[in-house]
Amino acid sequence: MSETVDNQGVQAVTMTNVNKWFDDFHVLKDINLQVADGEKVVVCGPSGSGKSTLIRCICKLEDHQKGTINVLGTELNDKVANIDEIRREVGMVFQQFNLFPHMTVLENCTLALTLVRKKSRKEAEAIAMQFLEKVRIPEQSVKYPGELSGGQQQRVAIARSLCMNPKILLFDEPTSALDPEMISEVLDVMVTLAEEGMTMVCVTHEMGFARRVADRVIFMDEGEIVEQNTPQEFFDNPTNERTQLFLSQILQH
Amino acid sequence: MTDTTYHLPPQISFSQKLKNSLFATPFDFFLTLICAALFALLLYWFIDWAFISSIWRAEDEPLCKEASGACWSVIDARHRIIFFGLFPFEEHWRSTVACVVMIATIVASCVPWFWTAIRLSALWLIGFSIFYILMHGGVFGLSVITPERWGGLALTIFIFAAVSIIGMPLSIVLALGRRSKLPVIAKLFGLFIDFFRSLPLLTILFTAAVITPFVLPGWLQGDKLYRVIFGFALFFAAYQAENIRAGLQAIPLGQDEAGLTLGLKYWHRVSRIQLPQAFRNSLPSIVNQFVITFKETSIVTIVGFFEILASGSAAFGTGKWTVHYIEVYVFIGAIYFIFVFSLSRYGAYLERKLRVGHV
Ligand SMILES: Nc1ncnc2c1ncn2[C@@H]1O[C@H](COP(=O)(O)OP(=O)(O)OP(=O)(O)O)[C@@H](O)[C@H]1O
Ligand SMILES: [Mg+2]
Repeated sequence: MSETVDNQGVQAVTMTNVNKWFDDFHVLKDINLQVADGEKVVVCGPSGSGKSTLIRCICKLEDHQKGTINVLGTELNDKVANIDEIRREVGMVFQQFNLFPHMTVLENCTLALTLVRKKSRKEAEAIAMQFLEKVRIPEQSVKYPGELSGGQQQRVAIARSLCMNPKILLFDEPTSALDPEMISEVLDVMVTLAEEGMTMVCVTHEMGFARRVADRVIFMDEGEIVEQNTPQEFFDNPTNERTQLFLSQILQH
Repeated sequence: MTDTTYHLPPQISFSQKLKNSLFATPFDFFLTLICAALFALLLYWFIDWAFISSIWRAEDEPLCKEASGACWSVIDARHRIIFFGLFPFEEHWRSTVACVVMIATIVASCVPWFWTAIRLSALWLIGFSIFYILMHGGVFGLSVITPERWGGLALTIFIFAAVSIIGMPLSIVLALGRRSKLPVIAKLFGLFIDFFRSLPLLTILFTAAVITPFVLPGWLQGDKLYRVIFGFALFFAAYQAENIRAGLQAIPLGQDEAGLTLGLKYWHRVSRIQLPQAFRNSLPSIVNQFVITFKETSIVTIVGFFEILASGSAAFGTGKWTVHYIEVYVFIGAIYFIFVFSLSRYGAYLERKLRVGHV
């Protein structure tokens, strides 16, 4: 295990010269990124630019081949103990929700609490209900994911992650699989989390959300971080021409 | 209320449907009539043969020559051979109880409450142990009856249960092995599965029964019956592994990733997320494999075991009973039918239930 400095000085995520290849396709090129404790970072960029790959590296769903990733003072390498330690602290919300379809909403939330956190069933259910209330969906706890709307499913997925009490939450386009009328119910939950001080790294093209909660917006293109800035500066005075092009494209819609 | 009915699809009555599908044109009318008449005639013949003009009791056998119906006397007189084979007469109660216990175990494992790894394995271990102790004896003051003397329905059930109890866990291991991330492991398991799938069952059973004694050291051979069951289980597991693998393959990658990010260990992801979904995905083919296996148990006759079909031949094989083979085969056919038909109805029921979303 690496040194555990007192948490004040520790960055939540530090990526140093991270490189990743899929076979000989260079997806991430010399990524340098720091996310401070409590910071909210929005990542945007064109399709295929490596946004998903970037945040999937942070919870080891993808391996990086060069550079170092440090999460809350623990180095992310092949040591099982380190990976476990990091996955304890990092939650992830997927575009496709990835709820377990054969379990009820409540069972989705309690599964890892009982198996990983070794809570009793009663304790686990109490915790799960608490977070289902937080995402405003407690009345659906006995239903199966297939019986819920997309927005409801995504809120359950967020509650499921929150049950594990993560210090950092990663979101990979959490609203892009949703019908327009359901987007705001999910964004509202995310805004609440942001206001409570959760450290968040969020891949999204919801610019209203970015302006409202992000401390920093990062623009990626072809595997590189091309530009990063505060939302005001980023949206109003983009310096890089690729950023300008991208913003003009998404603002057309 | 009234204007909601406006949106409902037009209701077609049952008699209307019948009329549309069976009596639409004069030709249809004619065909329907002929088929109905033929069917009624066949049904009448069968009922008359089986129930009305038939002779039932063993001591009425002399009347069979005059009677136009079935001579069930042969079943009355010889059913013990069909059920128990050469099992000692005074111990037949053991065989009976053993079969009832095993059938109860099979039925119980169809109840969703038992569908966790622990409950299911506990149920089968207990059920199977009781079955084995009753059949084999040697403890609790029960006399020892070695497998050569087992037979009939009891042997069929024993082989089916033993093949399932060895084959099912094995098939899960094989399916998971074939999907291993390590190419060497995946290849090895793949080779093993394809090898056993490419051989005819008969070859495997024959090898297990006749050839392995020359190859294996004595202490490893075990009884011939156990070798045959083991070979059968390998065959069953190879096929069932492919069914399970198909079910695993259909699960979106995101399911495992969700498990990973929640910190679940491999075994928990497999047992709680992947396998339950894989079983749901390929339920029809998994149940089908059980149905096929139950029917294929009759093949062990060839390597010298008296399962139900062979015991049936023995039942009409002597003296005055030789003419009544049809009744014996109809009787055995009915037993197979009960087992296989309930299994496949159960499969259809599960499919319907799982389609609705939950169990
Ligand atoms: N498992 C994989 N094997 C090979 N190539 C991959 C794999 N996953 C992603 N890629 C490629 O890597 C590049 C970056 O993918 P990534 O999913 O990170 O992009 P993205 O920025 O998230 O795009 P999108 O907005 O479409 O989600 C793409 O060109 C993609 O084709
Ligand atoms: Mg993506």
